[in-house]
Amino acid sequence: MGLPLGYVFSTTTSPQSTGAPQAGQAREYQIGFTLPLSGELSSIGKIWEKVVYLALDDLNNEVKAYGFNVTFKPVILDDGTQDDKALANVQSFAQMGIKVVIGPAASSQVKAVKSFADANHIVIISPSSTAPTLAIPNDFIFRTVGSDAKQAKALATLAYTQGARTVVVFHRNDEYGNAFADFFTRYFSQFNNTKVYDLPYQAGLSDYTSEVNALASKVQSTGADSVVLIAFDTDAANILAHAAGNSVLSSVRWFLSEGPHGAQELLSPTIGQFAQKTRLLGTRPLFVHNPLYDEFAKKLKEKYGVEPTVFCDTLYDAVQLAGWAILRAGKYDGDAIRAALVEVAKHYYGPSGWTMFDENGDKAFQDYGVWAIVKTDQGYQFMDVGMVQGDSVIFTTTPYR
Amino acid sequence: MITQDLISFFLFSLLYLTVTIPLVLAYRVTKVINFTVANYITYGAYTAVLLDYYMRSSFGHNSLLLTVLSSFAVTGLIAVLSNLAVFKPLAEMRVKGDVLMIASMGLWIVLKYVLYIVSDIASSAWRTNLVSYSQIHYDDISLLTVRAGLVGVQQSLVVFPLLAVASMFILYLVLSETRVGRAVLAVADNSVLASLSGIAVGRVVNLTWFLTAGLTSLAGVMWTTYSGAITPEVGDSLILQVFTIAFIGGLSSLTRTAAGALLISGVENFGTDLLSTYLGLPTSIKPMLTFTVLLATLIVSPPLGVAGGVPYRFTRGARR
Repeated sequence: MGLPLGYVFSTTTSPQSTGAPQAGQAREYQIGFTLPLSGELSSIGKIWEKVVYLALDDLNNEVKAYGFNVTFKPVILDDGTQDDKALANVQSFAQMGIKVVIGPAASSQVKAVKSFADANHIVIISPSSTAPTLAIPNDFIFRTVGSDAKQAKALATLAYTQGARTVVVFHRNDEYGNAFADFFTRYFSQFNNTKVYDLPYQAGLSDYTSEVNALASKVQSTGADSVVLIAFDTDAANILAHAAGNSVLSSVRWFLSEGPHGAQELLSPTIGQFAQKTRLLGTRPLFVHNPLYDEFAKKLKEKYGVEPTVFCDTLYDAVQLAGWAILRAGKYDGDAIRAALVEVAKHYYGPSGWTMFDENGDKAFQDYGVWAIVKTDQGYQFMDVGMVQGDSVIFTTTPYR
Repeated sequence: MITQDLISFFLFSLLYLTVTIPLVLAYRVTKVINFTVANYITYGAYTAVLLDYYMRSSFGHNSLLLTVLSSFAVTGLIAVLSNLAVFKPLAEMRVKGDVLMIASMGLWIVLKYVLYIVSDIASSAWRTNLVSYSQIHYDDISLLTVRAGLVGVQQSLVVFPLLAVASMFILYLVLSETRVGRAVLAVADNSVLASLSGIAVGRVVNLTWFLTAGLTSLAGVMWTTYSGAITPEVGDSLILQVFTIAFIGGLSSLTRTAAGALLISGVENFGTDLLSTYLGLPTSIKPMLTFTVLLATLIVSPPLGVAGGVPYRFTRGARR
């Protein structure tokens, strides 16, 4: 009885299990991942899990090719797209001695973990949090995607150039939605003869029938010609499915943020037809003309049978940055890794392009693409149809005829 | 947007009826305030999801009829197994109703995560995301609507009344026209007398679980034609309204429960829109409206059949 118990205790309490390497052996580093494997972002969260495994395979192969006797292992926890669970996960990682955590996905979750991460010197790299309110210098939060202050401008430009003049901004009432809506309103209002009406909705519901009915009333009473939807994937799918059955909402233009991009639920016949009818367009962070992105997308499809969705490229690059930063730091320490991360990011070019950070730890250079839901022989598909450059939109293809 | 509110009122009334009528009947027989009703809805929806993916991948089309039969069978079986594993042993220990209720809450959480595991395994095996699934279009319903000249009509407007009416009809048929149904009502009225009169109460209880859970699963199938995103949280999102309606019905009167379903659906759809449009209140106050109705009902006309009391129809004379 004593021997097996002793073996169990020795292996579970060895330094190797806390994330730090054991002297004299091949070094193993643990990277924590807090992912939305359930909840509102689960649609893309499940794909992200595949990206994590792909990224770690590539990272481990790359470091071996450089002669490092090192292995990076993931510790993946589901945060259910909830703020408190994300915090609990980061706290669990801290107890395990993990100093680098990738995720969480939502800006409200990043906000929830920030204080703990800063106090405990845990480097947080979010591949998808974009709220401008979290662009704060000298903290332990890094984001491999540009702040939504820029995307809001891109979306405002897209909507205006497409003829929108009176817009209802229908957005999640959370960190992400409120900040995005605020910046969108600021930029859109700068154009001539425009009006913007703000309509937040409570996030986290399983159904948005009442909210969509309220939106229809608002569109009708204000005479709006467009709706701007700032949402995640499952709420967007629910909202668009209900909007498809509403005659008022089916007769205005729709413009979306990046959140719903890639969610398979949006490719149903109901939403696909609605997209054609309303000539639905969206913006998303995109580094155009990047052969590394094409290579990454091909590998993901071949190995796991899935297409990359929004932020898969930034997640992949977050993993690479984390690994190389740990190696460059020379020690498994939060402060050293943070300093190393900034330097590594200056020289790293990946599927999401250049990853250099600005003074706030956010991606310094970000392009925005325009996406649509188009009808093909295989059904409805997401397609990148153009990009936003300055005050104009360049379409590379005509999505709707 | 009165038209849209009317449509939502119509659909949600049918949805709530489909869940609450079997729930109240189940309570009258089993005496369990049962939180796993949320699982019955979700399992109904997810049987539809898994079957839809499998059938489309293998045969290129799906079927509402097959989906309904499968959802009914799967969910009914889960309910019977839940009874045999949890509620029956507790009932034999003669525990109080609140212990059964707490047990049902534990079972609710366990069954939810079992579903997450199952959909995770299916997602990995089939290399697709099943934790969140798109709205389902049933090919046999498409055919039906085309033949009836209803091209372009949303499937939910056909499926909801079809399944709600079917559910109520099956229940009516079983309870009023079959020996088994009469046995169920006898056990619901007085299980001791029913046992003394030769009715196998244990078997009737199992049958009640199977029937009521199976009928509740139809609400999950309905939901797959309505929502743009189907997730394992589907049933949880309806549970507050379901119990409010059941308590309005006193957990005993099927007629009052039906009236409660119409009332709650009306308050949620018309009430929320009116308050949002004319007073600028956020639509997130919807649960507040639901519970205000519940509290008002409890104060003005307290149902005496709740938590094991006598059936409502026997209290009218006593209250006078």
